[in-house]
Amino acid sequence: MTATTEAIKTHGLTEKQLLQMLEKMLLARALSIRQRMLQRMGKGPMTFSGEGHEAAQVGSAFTLRPGVDWVFPYYRDVAVAVTIGMTAVDILRGFFARRDDINSGGRNMPSHFSHPGLRIVSGSAPIATQLPHAVGAALAAKLRRLDEIAVGYSGDGSTSTGDWHESMNFAGVHRLPIVFVCEHNNYAISVPWRKQAAIENVSIRAEGYGFSGVTVDGNDVLAVYGAMSDAVKRARAGEGPTLIEAKTYRLMPHSSDDDDRRYRTPEEVEAWSAKDPVVAFPRHLKELGVLDDSAAKEINDQVNRAVDEATDQVEQEPQPDAQTAHRHVLVEQEGA
Amino acid sequence: MVSVKEIPGAAGLSGDQLLDIYYKMLLARIVGQRERMLNRMGKGPFAVTGEGHEATQVGTAFPLKPGYDWVVPYYRDIGVALTIGQSPRDLLLAHLSRADDISSGGRNMPSHFSDPPLRIVSGSAPVATHLPHAAGIALASKLHGLDEVTVVYTGDGGTSTGDCHEAMNLAGVHKLAVIFVIENNEYAISVPTRKQFAVRDVSIRAQSYGFPGVTVDGNDVLAVYAASKEAVERARNGDGATLIEAKTYRLVPHTSDDDDRRYRSREEVEQWTAKDPLIRYRTWLKQHDVTDERVLDELHEKAAREVDEATDEAEKAPTPTPESALRHVFVEE
Repeated sequence: MTATTEAIKTHGLTEKQLLQMLEKMLLARALSIRQRMLQRMGKGPMTFSGEGHEAAQVGSAFTLRPGVDWVFPYYRDVAVAVTIGMTAVDILRGFFARRDDINSGGRNMPSHFSHPGLRIVSGSAPIATQLPHAVGAALAAKLRRLDEIAVGYSGDGSTSTGDWHESMNFAGVHRLPIVFVCEHNNYAISVPWRKQAAIENVSIRAEGYGFSGVTVDGNDVLAVYGAMSDAVKRARAGEGPTLIEAKTYRLMPHSSDDDDRRYRTPEEVEAWSAKDPVVAFPRHLKELGVLDDSAAKEINDQVNRAVDEATDQVEQEPQPDAQTAHRHVLVEQEGA
Repeated sequence: MVSVKEIPGAAGLSGDQLLDIYYKMLLARIVGQRERMLNRMGKGPFAVTGEGHEATQVGTAFPLKPGYDWVVPYYRDIGVALTIGQSPRDLLLAHLSRADDISSGGRNMPSHFSDPPLRIVSGSAPVATHLPHAAGIALASKLHGLDEVTVVYTGDGGTSTGDCHEAMNLAGVHKLAVIFVIENNEYAISVPTRKQFAVRDVSIRAQSYGFPGVTVDGNDVLAVYAASKEAVERARNGDGATLIEAKTYRLVPHTSDDDDRRYRSREEVEQWTAKDPLIRYRTWLKQHDVTDERVLDELHEKAAREVDEATDEAEKAPTPTPESALRHVFVEE
């Protein structure tokens, strides 16, 4: 992979970076599979699977500066969290509701990612409520004249909420350094897109807020990376927000409490499984000569080992002490 | 009086209809002025008036079938209420919070229009909360298989609310027979539109919801009428929603509690005063030989008389009795 054409195809990413992206995608996949398994074993309360969304999540998050830019994920964004820097241990502690869980000290629902050091901001469970928060963070960055940007993630269902609209509009008026990433998987739990909006591409709405919108193949990690890189550049240059609609598919049910056979045909799921991004990306890397079978196996083994070790470790860890139930609720003053 | 086909630019309206439109605009103007005056005299608690919006309001409401179509106005829509069939007496009974006020029996804020037989639907004071109601009414019409049309009004500030988005999206998804009229007067109280949205014409947002949107000169009553008529026909034919943005200007402060000198230059107000829709339409009627100065003056006198009589009547009407305070709150069997 030395030719210029390859560099264009891969947006100037180095081989090392490409392999890092693959590793993040595979780690996210392995974590989703593990959480589903542990939930069925009765060890965890609930899971949200990100399987199928890895390209949209890693491709977008890989453009950010961890610990500088502000990340407002939604519950499906396990691959965003690990790309920004959360570890398998961080994710599984959240899942098992352990004492040392950085997300919420074992208080919040699983997959409500939060990491102060990495500037991953805790969200509430109601859909799209994180978007006004993201806009507020972007406004703060602007007022403070910092070149931090904010990224707000949500699904296609969120686009019908008032919060979504108010966020887009405010971001447009104030030309805020923010990127809205809509992970459009065609279903809001069981509600198909045709019942969600009367338009094909939600990215068209950006025009109504005075900024750019783009629809991208959400299963093509490099296409997502390219679109997001442009958006991040614009945001950092003070040129305002972007709406990125990444069209993808959730290969698993909405959550461990959902039976997707009631609203999706097996044929549809199979057709999308054939486009699985964690299969397509390694194949593409092999075509580019960046990856071979043994390297692929090595990354896979490494990721699986990390998830196994994290599982063993976290399972042994203590739950929050009952005496601490009131912690993380009110401001805690030193010495109090 | 000339016949329909002989009036170019009249959007197919007859001479009588053209004068009826003028009369409604006059009434709206005079009722607005009267309410502000009564407020300053200490007789009315609060005035929200629509001077400057008359072309937009009368032009959009005129194609509707009163008592059949559903009208969901906002607080500035005196011209809408009058066009649909409320009388100056109805409006002044509400302004003075009288017992016989059809809008709310003297309970609601003035200009919160309501008239059950005319299907003018009561709204709440928070901005744009009535847009979801309108979408709901249109959904009911669709489910009942009726060709009723719902028209809902809001200002430019209404467009930034979540309710506006949710109402428009629902209307788009279900192809509802609803028309959203944005009376864009450049200010949400004191907030100018450049701080309200980052687009030139907010009608562009219709494409976000999969239905047509149009921006029209809100001071040109016939242009507004033509846009509304087309939208009403589309809605009645089952072709879904329309967003009409009528660009206009409020010639007076937001309410009797507002001092617009704090946020608008007098030059700007003067420029718009020169574009007063009543004067413009009056000139048009004369230029197109629909009528003459004498008839127009007579109409003016007639409208002023009607508002005078309504004022006298409303002032003499009793206020609600304290014993009736709990009426209109719960279902009354």
